[in-house]
Amino acid sequence: MPSPPRRPVSRRRLLQASALALPGAWALAACAREQPLSGPTGGGSSAGGSASGGATSAPAELQIASPTNPVKWPINPGNEPIASGLEPEANATLRLYNYPDYLDKAVIKDFQKEYADYNVKVEYSTFNDYPEALTKIRSGSIPYDVTFMSYNYMARLVYGDLIRPLNHEYIPNIADVWEEFQNPWYDQEWQYTVPYVIYTTGIGWRADLIPEDIGARPNPYDVFWDSKYAGEIAVLDDDREVIGMTILRDGGTDVNTADPATLGAARDAMLEMLSLSQPRVTISGYTDIPEGVLSLSQCWSGDMITGQSYMPEGVDPSVLRYWSPPDGRGLVNSDFLCVLKGGENPVLAHHFLNYMLDSDVSLKNFSWVGYQPPLRSLTPDSMVADGYIPENLAGAVVKPEWFEVGYPVLELPPEVEAEYQAIWQQFKAGA
Amino acid sequence: MTVSAAPAEAILEESRGRRRRRMRGTSEARAYGLGAITAVYLLWALVPVAITVLFSFNEGRSRSTWQGFSLRWYTWDPTGSVLNDESIRNALSYTVLLAVLATIITVPIGVLFALALDRWRGRLPQGANFLALITFVIPEIALAIGLLFMVTYLATPFGLGTWAQVVGLVTFQLSYPIVICRARLLTIGSHYEEAARDLGASALGAVRRIILPMLFPAILVSAILVFADVLDDFVIVRYLSSDASTETTSMRIYQTARAAPTPALNAMATIILVVSALVIVLGWLAYRRWTRKQGESTDVSSLASTL
Amino acid sequence: MVWIALFFLIPLYVVFCVAFGTVDPIFRSPVPIWNPLEWQFTQVEVVWDRLFGPDNFYLPAVLRTLLYVAIAVVACLIIAFPVAYFTARYAGNYRGLVLALLVAPFFISYMMRMLAWINLLQPDGLVNTIITLGGVVPLDINWLSGNPYVVVMGLIYGYVPYMLLPLFAALDRISPSLIEAARDLGASGFDLFRRVILPMSLPGIVAGTLLISLPMMGDYFTSDLLSKSPNTAMIGNLINLSIVAPGQAGQAGTLLILVLLVLLIPMVLYTRSNARAEVRS
Repeated sequence: MPSPPRRPVSRRRLLQASALALPGAWALAACAREQPLSGPTGGGSSAGGSASGGATSAPAELQIASPTNPVKWPINPGNEPIASGLEPEANATLRLYNYPDYLDKAVIKDFQKEYADYNVKVEYSTFNDYPEALTKIRSGSIPYDVTFMSYNYMARLVYGDLIRPLNHEYIPNIADVWEEFQNPWYDQEWQYTVPYVIYTTGIGWRADLIPEDIGARPNPYDVFWDSKYAGEIAVLDDDREVIGMTILRDGGTDVNTADPATLGAARDAMLEMLSLSQPRVTISGYTDIPEGVLSLSQCWSGDMITGQSYMPEGVDPSVLRYWSPPDGRGLVNSDFLCVLKGGENPVLAHHFLNYMLDSDVSLKNFSWVGYQPPLRSLTPDSMVADGYIPENLAGAVVKPEWFEVGYPVLELPPEVEAEYQAIWQQFKAGA
Repeated sequence: MTVSAAPAEAILEESRGRRRRRMRGTSEARAYGLGAITAVYLLWALVPVAITVLFSFNEGRSRSTWQGFSLRWYTWDPTGSVLNDESIRNALSYTVLLAVLATIITVPIGVLFALALDRWRGRLPQGANFLALITFVIPEIALAIGLLFMVTYLATPFGLGTWAQVVGLVTFQLSYPIVICRARLLTIGSHYEEAARDLGASALGAVRRIILPMLFPAILVSAILVFADVLDDFVIVRYLSSDASTETTSMRIYQTARAAPTPALNAMATIILVVSALVIVLGWLAYRRWTRKQGESTDVSSLASTL
Repeated sequence: MVWIALFFLIPLYVVFCVAFGTVDPIFRSPVPIWNPLEWQFTQVEVVWDRLFGPDNFYLPAVLRTLLYVAIAVVACLIIAFPVAYFTARYAGNYRGLVLALLVAPFFISYMMRMLAWINLLQPDGLVNTIITLGGVVPLDINWLSGNPYVVVMGLIYGYVPYMLLPLFAALDRISPSLIEAARDLGASGFDLFRRVILPMSLPGIVAGTLLISLPMMGDYFTSDLLSKSPNTAMIGNLINLSIVAPGQAGQAGTLLILVLLVLLIPMVLYTRSNARAEVRS
């Protein structure tokens, strides 16, 4: 970074963070039961060297997967995939753990019907954000079977021995998935995950409430710093999305930066945003914008598509707009489905994953949640033509080539993550 | 600090008649003024809730534009109604289950606690009494987080979920039966029990046959209070819940009120309202019957002042 | 008694252990330290820094909380006093009914009462319909996005019933003849209020104030439901946010301990006055 840090927020706290790691032996002894024995291997690095250390030596650095550093995760001893050819568990309750409104309830009902022979019940529990989800999964007190996650939690899921490797024989429907998602960089050879949906992060608004074309601004992100819209707008309740967006707005491209100067600048900009436009912090833009509680919000590409069904009577859904960088140089990400180790119904969970990859099921789910699955049977060009996405929201279609140029939100080393969290907490404490 | 009443009363007698007439005038005006304030307050307090109930019968999915009367959100909407949305049904039945469990456990423990406090003197019971009162006023979030940490980091025989929630609720509610029963025990005094002992009753028998029946109104009142309060609890049940099967109606309102609610949410809230109203009315009737039979006063204010 | 020891004291102790514990280096989840002799105070330092150090970003939220609570308590008093006074003195034949209506909100779920206001305050809700006279007046007020007045109103609305009952109980104990006596001695309305009613209802005022301000200090859901903006975040919101965020459970614990320490004085006051009242009766 060319400019010196304006306010070096992080040095001291970074030091504190590393100081915390010192009494590591004690800490590790305490949580030894939760640590797998080996670190990840793959990506050419030699992290597996600490395998013999176990509880006595500090664990290997978290392996961080990225498009330039694809990772094949290790399979921890004792956590082999389930055997082939097993019958799904009968009379089981399949516990799903997901964001609210991130899966069509009708699809769940269909699944129960499809597996009626086994008397399957599906229970849908929700979290507000991924950190909360990870904390609860790790506490181990609830036997969730399947969760919907993002790859910036992949290393911790594997390290914590929280997820179960997949037996591919149960999941033939993978064949319909886009090529690059059959061997994704975040999980080479899809050992643990199958893709769920892909999305961009951008800006959604109601054209009748915001009389301007946000996308025509020289820097559309500036709208969040525009006091004209104070009290009408919101940003996502997600630290990475907001910090990432702020970095992009200020001309940066590394949304996973560990550079204290960049982060300090982002923090200052976010605080400035608080006082200028008083945004709300929420993921409910998909209902708040249609209902007019908000006029504009940072949101994910599926939000405005699903938002059409929340329009109050008498308002034309075609007033909804969505913008994300049209060249794909914005936040472009995907979520995956995985089977949790603590679940009680691993076979049924495999069946559920396979069911979700079925093209009809996937389409039905897509038309409800508004998030696009990376399936061959659903080409981006056909989506507007086939009426899945209306003309006014054509910007919400995610193009495959954007995964080449877009910026994925990656997992962070713990001490950097702490820095992001500190910024986020300061933001959420208000100004 | 108070105006001494006795001399005042003596001096008054003669001047009373003179002043009374004038006073009645201003006093009536004041009564009307205060009455108006009270009426406005009651409107402000209750009308929003009434509107919420009203819109649970809305035909359309709006919660602010009236589109005609219908039971759609109670019964016939195929996916969204209380009857057909399994998660709403679960939340309702689970809320009632929690309230029943918590009440069943809280009240006996609380009564025993109160009896024990009434009998034993000394430092330990005093400390216990102090703790019980502290649980009455401590911010709920403190207890909830403490229990959350305890369940997560200590090896407890129960995990997050129903039992953790019940434990939290019982701990938090315990002060109701303790405070109410102690107050009652103080008014009962010890002579009934002594008389019973003199007539040959055993210590246990005296408690069972004399004290417990006399304590019954207090037990009933505290049970109603605990039950109604648990129905509404939010902080403890949320922190200690595990998954969707341990979700209560208040959690559901919190989660969906700002997301994508339909009038079904209003319908669910209305049903819980009706349940707690029913319990209160039934409890009240039982209380009246009992106290009538015992020839005691049934003033509402005696209930209020125990709070 | 064992129950309280088990499920009240131990959880509090665990909060201390977490607050004074360390953090798992990978997951950044808290690692409690059970032995008080080994307690570390890094988390406390972090929180202290954020309160009073150069990065004091907790402070605005704390001051905001105090301000909100103070306004709400005063408003509750102003609203509750005449209502309670009327019910205790003048309600006459309607006393039972009025009292039942006053107690009713006490039994209506807090969440439902907040839901009621969310519905009313929506952009196309009744409040806006009335203000704009059904769309005639071109006013577009968005109540639910970070409006501090709405949050404070929500607090008042939510907690007033808890103020009413102790006030009523205190006012009800004042004998009517005492008031009459004061009047006959020539006390004006204001004098009567200042020198008789107010002092005699003081225990009720104190009890009510404590009863509503203590839970308000830990309240996060009112602000969450009615605003969701960081600009109205209260201490409760900070705690609630830290509790699930990786690496910050210890800070949540520390904040909680600080809040409890500050609140300990009023809590002890309350229990003391309660115990004394018991002795007197």
